[in-house]
Amino acid sequence: MKEESDKRKGMKFLGILDIQNTPCARESILNGAGGSVVAGLVHFLATSRVKRSFDVGVAGFMLSTLGSWLYCRYDNAKLRVQQKVIQDGIKNKVIYEGTTLDPTRKTRGDA
Amino acid sequence: MAHPTQLGFQDAASPVMEELLHFHDHALMIVFLISTLVLYIIVAMVSTKLTNKYILDSQEIEIVWTVLPAVILVLIALPSLRILYLMDEINDPHLTIKAMGHQWYWSYEYTDYEDLGFDLYMIPTQDLPPGQFRLLETDHRMVVPMESPIRVLISAEDVLHSWAVPSLGIKLDGVPGRLNQTAFIASRPGVFYGQCSEICGANHSFMPIVVEAVPLEHFEHWSSLMLEDA
Repeated sequence: MKEESDKRKGMKFLGILDIQNTPCARESILNGAGGSVVAGLVHFLATSRVKRSFDVGVAGFMLSTLGSWLYCRYDNAKLRVQQKVIQDGIKNKVIYEGTTLDPTRKTRGDA
Repeated sequence: MAHPTQLGFQDAASPVMEELLHFHDHALMIVFLISTLVLYIIVAMVSTKLTNKYILDSQEIEIVWTVLPAVILVLIALPSLRILYLMDEINDPHLTIKAMGHQWYWSYEYTDYEDLGFDLYMIPTQDLPPGQFRLLETDHRMVVPMESPIRVLISAEDVLHSWAVPSLGIKLDGVPGRLNQTAFIASRPGVFYGQCSEICGANHSFMPIVVEAVPLEHFEHWSSLMLEDA
């Protein structure tokens, strides 16, 4: 029960995004933070403009987080579809194995 | 069911509700990013030393804040429309149940094979056995077989009601003289609670909905018992 209540609390960024319990959220935020630091640093090293580099860093955070989020969610969705197909396949195999409806059963020519 | 002080959704008990949860996470991430951007812009505006009042021909920013919202809306709209049409699919249901709203109880009819019908009244708080849920328990339950597509036809006998079960991702109005159709698949066994979601009089808050998903053989046994009692 304590583990369940700990899981449910989570950490909410800006009070809305539950990082711990939302799939792909943590990875996206971390990738976004990394992208932000890289983008801001590269811009500063190239131009020596501090304020504009901060702006570029924030833009980098937006784009990196969004890109990482979309990629991870797409992979997640594909995985869920595959899991569903496998689940249905296992269920159908259990139900139909050995019967005439078994699709893996080889049909005999004289049957 | 909901736990005390809960703010978010209940755990999904149907594939449609799972998709809704995923869409909600997606929309919330976009909202989070927009909020972060707005917060940063506010801080930048407050801390800037620039005070030029006559800013003209800001083509770049105009393009950015026209194109970016359009892109964001497309990113939200595409999955939203996908789920909208997914919720309307009725793929060869195994069972059809009619849910009729009355003042102030729900009645259910299973008329596919035999004529089975019963009413669900809320158990008053003073009659609740210890451990049961206040304002949610009923004397009978709408029992359905799990992992089977179930079609529910919802209507009402007197005034507007609404049949809602959050963990199945269903909310549909019961309108007198009209049949509204929805379908769901209960992915796991369990008891799922809901409450009437359209104001319908004095006891609107006291006509809950209880759906119990059980394996098929248990459902057959239950329906035989109910037919004997009828």
